[in-house]
Amino acid sequence: MSTTPADFAKYDPGASYRGASNGDILPAHAAPTYYDRPLLKKPHWEWEVILYLFMGGVMGGSGILAAVADEGGDDAELARSARYLSFVLASTCPLVLVKHLGRPERFLHMLRIVKFKSVMSMGVWGLIAFSLPATAGAAGQAAEDGLLPGWIALLAPRAVVKPLLALLGAFIAGYTGVLISATAIPAWAIGKRFIPAFSVCSGLASACAANAAVLSVTGGNPRTLVKLERLELVASLAELGLLLGFERHAGEYGKPMYAGPRGDKLRTWTMGFGIALPAMLNLVPIHAKWKTLLASALTLTGGYVLRETLIEAGKASSEDPKAAARQPE
Amino acid sequence: MSKGFFTDTTLCIGCKACEVACKQWNQLPADGYEFSGNSYDNTMALGATTWRHVAFIEQTAPPEAPPSLNKWLMMSDVCKHCTHAGCMEACPTGAIVRNEFDDVYIQPDVCNGCGYCVPSCPFGVVDLISHADYTEGRHFESDGRTHDDATQTTGGIAGKCTLCYDRQKVGFIPACAKACPTESIQFGDVAELHERAKKRVETLAERGVDSYLYGVDSGASTGNLNAFFLLTEAPGAYNLPERPVLPSTHQRAGYTSAALAAAALTAIGFAIFRRA
Repeated sequence: MSTTPADFAKYDPGASYRGASNGDILPAHAAPTYYDRPLLKKPHWEWEVILYLFMGGVMGGSGILAAVADEGGDDAELARSARYLSFVLASTCPLVLVKHLGRPERFLHMLRIVKFKSVMSMGVWGLIAFSLPATAGAAGQAAEDGLLPGWIALLAPRAVVKPLLALLGAFIAGYTGVLISATAIPAWAIGKRFIPAFSVCSGLASACAANAAVLSVTGGNPRTLVKLERLELVASLAELGLLLGFERHAGEYGKPMYAGPRGDKLRTWTMGFGIALPAMLNLVPIHAKWKTLLASALTLTGGYVLRETLIEAGKASSEDPKAAARQPE
Repeated sequence: MSKGFFTDTTLCIGCKACEVACKQWNQLPADGYEFSGNSYDNTMALGATTWRHVAFIEQTAPPEAPPSLNKWLMMSDVCKHCTHAGCMEACPTGAIVRNEFDDVYIQPDVCNGCGYCVPSCPFGVVDLISHADYTEGRHFESDGRTHDDATQTTGGIAGKCTLCYDRQKVGFIPACAKACPTESIQFGDVAELHERAKKRVETLAERGVDSYLYGVDSGASTGNLNAFFLLTEAPGAYNLPERPVLPSTHQRAGYTSAALAAAALTAIGFAIFRRA
């Protein structure tokens, strides 16, 4: 039996693809896979990157807190803890980042260039930029606390340090989300309007929790703790809303993040114990150190689990050739 | 002048000479002896030290179709050397550059192994070279290198096809194209290859074979591919994306949403902490 071009048109599964213009939705049979093998490569990021995403959130959020705290009034202790925390994290994060490199001794190669197209290059420079006001703020605070000579405070004028901490802190808390969503991984790319936003919210909520924990131990003003709880509530509820919105928006692409055991872990540890439970605890009108510490620990755990879920979901998403064949625009 | 590959899958006979020539010329470690069970393909994917990969696609026609529609397709896959390359844009060290032949090249002495190029390639090409690839059970003495040499130059960094930058520099054609016995892999000036490829599609159509070019004027954000393909099946069959998207196109929305969230929360923060 001889084959005619009409036979090809009739039985050829690729024909409809070639007839369709680019980007059109294709019939299901035109989307074969190659033995269901992954189309994309799996991201190599392990616990170092997850930890950095989490620490970056607390660091950036602390920068914002150091700027908004009313240090002349109730919140002097908060301003102090936020300044010290920003500095400590800004000095430890680079170590975690260097650790994750395939060739750590070449870390300085990041500083060869400033590249606006590369979110990672922007992040490295953002981190370095943030460390300047963070160091200046902490040095000024140390001078005030009598740990350093008093004249050092003159080198770090509050009017300059504060807005820089807030601006660069916001960048640090948010850029990691942009970095993740500006990839080809379907579960990440589909989240370009959600992942950066909930990274900021989660970062600020975690920073409120971390600073509240410090204040409850060192004995901060109870009025400051109430304000911190209030800001944490706003930030974490916004995070919850964005997480739920992302699930709806992502649909099939979001399955690696929201379905199965990974989704259950996110719902339990981030949405439940990490957001809802601390919110309820903070509504209970008891002011006790244990309550603040418990709520803080839960919020911080939820923030870490969110980052872990995000990275693990990206790895799972990279193994799905059907999602990778039609990458989110 | 852009140099690239035109890979005509209708000419590929699946001999894998390209894979072997690439490994040999570039002194890349072998892939091991994993048996996939997927047709004759035990290489399975491009990788950090596997820069050509011959895919084998077996398709059975429906019972009522003429048996000649049973298809056995072969395709030699390679880095696409995109006009707008996701890996190159993502690279924070500037290790990934576009060379004088318009090809995307990783400078092995600059890359620090951050791994951001890996999820940034919409074609799943680039990967990190594992240190183990260069240390365990490999015998470099045969090509005059010690294990230390090999690890020093290549372990822990990103690896992918260089389009034989070193050979091009001295006027040789890439090893895979040189080794290809059927001219399925053609190397040359991309503009000229485009002309040749379009004629080939017409010729095939006259003979009753329906084909198309993948990576030429498709309107995808990755732009034209300097290594493009003539295919007779949907891209997914060859593990190519139907719709590759350049990752940096997501940045604007990302930065905007982060800025909006941060501005709103900072404003609320100021309101909450304002002195009563």
